[in-house]
Amino acid sequence: MSAVAEGLGALADPTVLLCILVGALAGMLVGAFPGITATMSVALASAFTLTMDPIPGLAVLLTIYVAANFGDRVPAILVNTPGTPASISTTFDGYPMAKQGKAGIALTTSAFSAAFGTFGGLLVLIFAAIPLSRMALSFGPAEMFALVVFGLTMVVGVSGSNLLKGLAAAAFGLVLSTVGRDPITGAERMTFGVLELSDGLPFIAVIIGLFGIADVFDQMLTHHAGTATAIKNLGRWMPNRSERRRMRKPALIGTGIGAVVGALPAAGGDIAGITSWSASRRLSKTPGEYGHGSMEGLTAGDSASNATLGPSVSTTLALGVPGDSVMAVVIGSLVIWGFDPGPGLFASQPDLVYTIAGIMALATVLTLFLSLLRMRGVSKLLELPPHYLWTVVIVFCLVGTFAVNNSVVDVAVMLVAGVVGLFMRRLGFPAAPVVLGLILGELAEANLRRALEIGGVSEILTSPIALAFLVVAVASVTLPPALRRLRRSRRRDRRPVS
Amino acid sequence: MHRISNTPVRALAVSAAGLLALTGCADRQNDDETADFPSEDITVVVPYDAGGASDLAARTLVGELEDELDASIVVENRSGGAGSVGLDHLAGQDADGYTLGYLPVETVMLGHQGYDIDPSDYEPLGQIVSVPATIAVPADSEYETLEDLLAAAEDEELSVANSGTGSIWHAATSALNEEAGTQLDPVPFDGGAPAVTAAVGGQVDAVVAGVSETATAAEDDQLRVLAVLDDERADAMPDVPTAEEQGHDVSIGGWGAIGAPEGLPDDVREALVDAISSAADSEEFVETIESSGNIAVNVGPEEFQPFYEEENARFESLFSE
Repeated sequence: MSAVAEGLGALADPTVLLCILVGALAGMLVGAFPGITATMSVALASAFTLTMDPIPGLAVLLTIYVAANFGDRVPAILVNTPGTPASISTTFDGYPMAKQGKAGIALTTSAFSAAFGTFGGLLVLIFAAIPLSRMALSFGPAEMFALVVFGLTMVVGVSGSNLLKGLAAAAFGLVLSTVGRDPITGAERMTFGVLELSDGLPFIAVIIGLFGIADVFDQMLTHHAGTATAIKNLGRWMPNRSERRRMRKPALIGTGIGAVVGALPAAGGDIAGITSWSASRRLSKTPGEYGHGSMEGLTAGDSASNATLGPSVSTTLALGVPGDSVMAVVIGSLVIWGFDPGPGLFASQPDLVYTIAGIMALATVLTLFLSLLRMRGVSKLLELPPHYLWTVVIVFCLVGTFAVNNSVVDVAVMLVAGVVGLFMRRLGFPAAPVVLGLILGELAEANLRRALEIGGVSEILTSPIALAFLVVAVASVTLPPALRRLRRSRRRDRRPVS
Repeated sequence: MHRISNTPVRALAVSAAGLLALTGCADRQNDDETADFPSEDITVVVPYDAGGASDLAARTLVGELEDELDASIVVENRSGGAGSVGLDHLAGQDADGYTLGYLPVETVMLGHQGYDIDPSDYEPLGQIVSVPATIAVPADSEYETLEDLLAAAEDEELSVANSGTGSIWHAATSALNEEAGTQLDPVPFDGGAPAVTAAVGGQVDAVVAGVSETATAAEDDQLRVLAVLDDERADAMPDVPTAEEQGHDVSIGGWGAIGAPEGLPDDVREALVDAISSAADSEEFVETIESSGNIAVNVGPEEFQPFYEEENARFESLFSE
């Protein structure tokens, strides 16, 4: 109990509180800027925080991490541009809601869901760090491969009305994921001698292009035809009681999935968001609304991607190895400050764990408050005449994409992805499966090849976790249509009798 | 943010200004007043992402270098292609001392792995860090010493994780195989941390990684470090013997230097070499690097240049097999 008091007591320092405020403002600023990721801002901030005392320094870094993940949702909802892969699922329902004149309620729903998810994830950090980190350790290449294959079955969910076009789009994404140096042998594949493509297509540039830029292009062309509908009506802001009740189930599903996915190394908010959105749709009474502006879908995705934050910190601290690139920066700073991340940390310095959880909780509350406060201001953006808005979006996308790597190649990739996205949209192909294929394809290939390298096919077949995921993956694709057919044939059998 | 968004026109102006600033459109005056070098801002290109070990070394040094040179220095991260993107960019800059770069060991490796990088395009001005390789096994592994591991690897393939294809740790595994005639099978992961995690979780038989990457896990008894692949034991793990002590003369590891595009004017080079040497000796720099688990060094260009060429030759032969 004294560790809790001591850990939380460290937060009573005004310097720490000021650092949290600074971090929240900086994080929300960068989060709202498409392309500029939490990783980048935390990395840049770490150069300054290293000279500070550990607790205020941690306050800045962790608050930026939390706040950037919040700010991320705003452009996803308002202009269909996910700032980072973690908010891809936000565009599924958030943007349709905004188009239906419900931008206000979409923004608040997203903010509340994100806060709910973050708190859920923090519980994991406080109570389940050690056991979860053990589970994470049993995830080797074979298990990751199986998990990713399961993730790929989500294509069915995010394909929208036309499954065939969704599968085609996912296949296209898988092909794109082979660009770059071979993950095992290092041989060049479809890089055309461009050094920048050695690591594969830049995700963020592709995502911004396929979603944001393609949408702007689409609107520009549509506007010409005189059918554009500007988002003028923001609608209500606060969800009413029955809406709040409907959000409960997806929020719990999302938080649960996010908490588990977040604990795994190399899996983050993007996979959690999409998986949870898909799972929630299957369990929903109104699956048809998903993808067309469902508050449930928005809640499920956003609570999941934010629920990954706490477990990701907990795995990082408990294992002493970073779960994602933001955590790599945090752990580097911790080591330099003289802390010793690893299983021993929870025993030797439990107060630090509570301090970290406390910082993240305060950051969440503050960011939620700031989000609700500034939302009306942000959404004024939508009152702009469309041609001004488009310019703003394009400039933001260009600058943001360039800033990721200081690379013109990334900007070119984004513009090409924008044009491709426009054609896909016009021909009725959904964009989400492409991104899913691109992100998961790379993970699937690298982990499969690693597993084969380590122990051949038996490496996968002898892993119970991997087998379980593969079975679930096959079942989730084959069972629903089989059941439907079964039900239909039963009905047919019954008909002559009645 | 909300102030900016409240007034979209201002947002446009701000982002446009940001774009101009980012693309660096301020034209550099090339008056060649080398006598009072430096008379303008200096850029240091780091070929990796912000936040990594190379970035930390470069940024810490830059903090000291600014005082030494009395100039403001900007660190620019240009990552991608295992470092080739940033190095390629550096090679194309003017050799006037205003664009410097962090040269990692990959500078002499990439050219032999099909990347268009030539070490002679760069002029090393001083080595600042050294990252010896270590080889470690899971804590519950049956292999207690390097000899145990290598003996087992004579008859069967053992999987050895590393941070990526063509990385220095991948090469270190090959170097061990070459010296000991073993079948250590390098398994590339996507970065040092996942490679170490795989060993901690027992997914692989061993891992080759830098001292700073294995030290933390070793302290917590999650890993057993069998050997340091360096001439001397590492301060971070004084009880771990070197490979040489165990009868295998393998010394390989990462290093980092500050360099410039080839062809600096003599007086500019002198000024930079002196300043880098003083910065690398500073307490602040040494402390930060050592506390991150790596080794701060200060090796001038006369001594470093021959090593740089030797390393290049070594990797040429190592990768030609």
